[in-house]
Amino acid sequence: MKNQIVLTSIAFVAMLARCSLLVATENKRSNLTEAMKQSIVYLKTSSYGYTQGQPWRHKQLSENWVCACAVGEYEVITTAQSVVNNAFLKALRYGQNEFIGAKLKVVDYESDLCLIELDPHGMYRPLKPLVFTEDYNRGTEVDSYWLSSDNRLYNGRGYLDRTVIEKTRTSYEKRLHYVVANTSHHTSRGEIYCAGPAPIGIACWSNDNKETGLIPAEGINRFLEATANKNYGGFGAVGFATSELLDPSVRAFLKMPTSLKNGVYVADVYNLGTGCNVLRKGDVIMAIDRQVLNSYGRFMHPKYKWLSFEHLITSKTVGQKVRFELWRDGERKDVLAEVKNFKASQMLVPYHEYGRQPEYVIIGGFILQKLTREYLTELGQDWAGRVSPHLYHYYRDLAFKPTAERSDIVILSYVLPANINIGYSNLRQDVVKKFNGMTISSIADIPIAQKLNPESEYDVIEFELDNPVVVIPCKQLPAADKFIHKNYGIRKLSNIYR
Amino acid sequence: MAHCPAKWSVRFLGYSVMCFQKLILVLLIMASVAFGCLSPAQSGQQQDLEKSVVLIRSIKQDFDYVTPWKQEAMREGIGSGFIIEGKRVLTNAHNVSNCKYIELRKENIAKLYPARFAFIGHDCDLAILTVNDEAFFDGTVALELTEIPTVNSTVSTYGFPVGGNRISVTEGVVSRIETDTYVHSGADGHLVIQTDAAINPGNSGGPVMQKGKVVGVAFQGISEAENIGYLIPTTVVRHFLTDIKDGKYDGFGSLGVLFYPGLHSASYKDYLNIPMHEDGIVVIATMMHSSVESILQPSDVITQIDDYNIDNDGMVQIYGLRLHMSEVIETKQIGGTIRLTFYRQGKQMKETATVDLNRPIFEQARQYDQPPRYLCFAGMVFVPATRNFLETWGRDWPKEIPHYLRYLFRHSIQLNTDRKRKEYVVLSEIMPDEVNSYAHKFKNKVVKSINGIIIRDLEDIPNAFKHPEGNFHIIEFMVENRTLPIDAIKAQQRHPSILEKYHVTPEARLERKL
Repeated sequence: MKNQIVLTSIAFVAMLARCSLLVATENKRSNLTEAMKQSIVYLKTSSYGYTQGQPWRHKQLSENWVCACAVGEYEVITTAQSVVNNAFLKALRYGQNEFIGAKLKVVDYESDLCLIELDPHGMYRPLKPLVFTEDYNRGTEVDSYWLSSDNRLYNGRGYLDRTVIEKTRTSYEKRLHYVVANTSHHTSRGEIYCAGPAPIGIACWSNDNKETGLIPAEGINRFLEATANKNYGGFGAVGFATSELLDPSVRAFLKMPTSLKNGVYVADVYNLGTGCNVLRKGDVIMAIDRQVLNSYGRFMHPKYKWLSFEHLITSKTVGQKVRFELWRDGERKDVLAEVKNFKASQMLVPYHEYGRQPEYVIIGGFILQKLTREYLTELGQDWAGRVSPHLYHYYRDLAFKPTAERSDIVILSYVLPANINIGYSNLRQDVVKKFNGMTISSIADIPIAQKLNPESEYDVIEFELDNPVVVIPCKQLPAADKFIHKNYGIRKLSNIYR
Repeated sequence: MAHCPAKWSVRFLGYSVMCFQKLILVLLIMASVAFGCLSPAQSGQQQDLEKSVVLIRSIKQDFDYVTPWKQEAMREGIGSGFIIEGKRVLTNAHNVSNCKYIELRKENIAKLYPARFAFIGHDCDLAILTVNDEAFFDGTVALELTEIPTVNSTVSTYGFPVGGNRISVTEGVVSRIETDTYVHSGADGHLVIQTDAAINPGNSGGPVMQKGKVVGVAFQGISEAENIGYLIPTTVVRHFLTDIKDGKYDGFGSLGVLFYPGLHSASYKDYLNIPMHEDGIVVIATMMHSSVESILQPSDVITQIDDYNIDNDGMVQIYGLRLHMSEVIETKQIGGTIRLTFYRQGKQMKETATVDLNRPIFEQARQYDQPPRYLCFAGMVFVPATRNFLETWGRDWPKEIPHYLRYLFRHSIQLNTDRKRKEYVVLSEIMPDEVNSYAHKFKNKVVKSINGIIIRDLEDIPNAFKHPEGNFHIIEFMVENRTLPIDAIKAQQRHPSILEKYHVTPEARLERKL
């Protein structure tokens, strides 16, 4: 009986404690629904990309929606993934029936952010800009807000679980994201997440485990600050690949004293990005900007705790300096590098070419085009196992290594059957080595090579890896191109930017 | 516009370069004995023939290609065979490959006869069995081989489908004769005859008859189609039987030339200075060390092989049929010669080439009956890169295997420039131990060098490990930026206990089976 009383008392005390905790938690939450009505817009987006395998053709027009929030009276911010291949934008704000004209101002696919300008003439009154707070309290409850197409402001819940450095949905670049757990809704359309009264991030992904990734306030504010500068140059890109340095044998092999426990191994150095001109394969990076890296390449961030080293580079703007403390050739060495980034189109195999038509030339039905990741991924989910391994080799091993001699991989992607190319119709996915004897370093070389031998009877294409030579009779070309243009409905037989 | 990753247009003479197949061809061996079936009404002559058709029961045990000192679980297989001259039983190689025990059974006779294989040709999926007990051949007749049947003629398939104890005879029509891949090896292509006669698991190795004579050996079908079965024609069977007359099987040969059947383009023809009236195929490359490496050059155009004119598709008129030119080569045995007529820069040339095996550095055919080669050192297992190893990734292995192995498998002929290379060697498994705690990331990587010694053959490895670089064995891998250092002293110390702990015995098997 006595025991029972004791247990009952404990349970009661525990219940009281829980109630007070709930009250305390509820006290921390703020209902911002009313405030958000003046700051959140619903964006209707239309995208109109190109089919990579048939680069003269548009994909089917698709419409989507995304949420954006005010960062100026007539400026809103949202994810860049929402405006990939954007053709048209219009916005809807709370309490207003008419759509508002909108246009892209700055898009940064590497940060997955974009700034959009709204037409002031289409709005009854300006928006109320939100200010994102960079406070980070792990475990805190958060609320999400979004505006629906039927002009209702919704909200959801979750709690701030962790931070992660991960690839953005729109690029090869890794960025800091918050992860919100136990979210009440699948939210990956730019919903605004707030901790208490302050916005902390924008939703950029969600998964089946009820988790949502946020572009955090830190990234948003840095982006806004940089875009305020007319010459927006973006943020640093990493110009090397690392590998964890756990094996004591590797450390001993690198002649590292046993007292040195930290450092991450430089496994590869690219031809693009920060550090590419100062680092060497086999270096050990001990610290970046005095932040000591552990064997996994993580450093202790004062706010977020352990973060991967990429953050130290990608959080800097282009032109700033970054200091690498290295272990090289058996001794310590410091090197200073300029923070650099690059456009995806500068890669040997571009990760993406959003918003523009793929580069190609059609000569006598032979479709020659630039190899891009988008071309490869169009082959389907298991593209890596299906695509020609020679093409995959360029994507996997050399994508970040363009050279002065070779800035593009040009492939014969397909042959549009015509009299002029009889006997060649089975060729596809072959890498072009030479055109009329000229080594092809980019797609822009093709028209130049074509003009090389004006007296020659034939245009001749040679390929890598033992393939037949393609011989195109020049005299028949005009008629053949006319046929291809008409028969296959191809308006433009070439699209080259340079 | 569909993009197809597999390329069909470029191929080797008599040897398929790539393994991706249009249809899923399946072997017709039965995994285990199932239920019986009734045979149809039989004539007297037919009954005599049927006495020569036998049921083959085999106990098989495949090899483990990742940890090659082990073998897979045993399994039982059922197939068919038939008696040919010389008191021999002809059947499919896949009925008796990796076999521990074979027994034969005749219809209506309870006695089981132990048998053994005398010759086996995995590239043509044929095997010859012998039986010690001469009584086995009592009352049987040796079945005779005849020529290739004509398309649309009727053939009868004899065998023990789905393992029944009674012989089954089904009739069908010859629907197609062409060169195709033999599934047993997965890479070798020979002539096949397609029929709509019901050919089911268990029929494998059974005779397909026309007018009392054998026109082929039933051997594979298509799982995705109804009533499409394939026979090995007697041209292939005869090649096999001739080959073994000297007491050993050499196999089917090729020339080792990569060609393009695309001379349909008049411009290409003109560019290569080929007379317009000539048809032929364009040489793209020759295999390193092949029979024709010193004879042919890229952009040569082969117009004639022996006395057969080659058309622009690479076909010749042979046996009254339009068949792939490899058929001409298949009339020769290894070491035989073949006359080639070709054009080089407008000049017609004639040369004689020797038919040889001409296998690529990265063997594309499945191997049987030879225990896999390997070497285990400090818990690291090294094996040659073979198709058998790649197939350990499962049914979808062409898509699932690591990229570089796929790249080498597909393009080793073009990628290998090392004339001394005999094979590629892979770190296939790590038997965990303190000496190799960090080596798991290098699993399935292709070894480039050990202690600075280029690894061109599994047999290079023991010597390479004898020369550590200072305190370490330094292992480098192809297209891998990281190096794997292994503490040399610790490796030496730990090696015996690792072998004991993981029951690795023997620690290496390096010899190639002849």
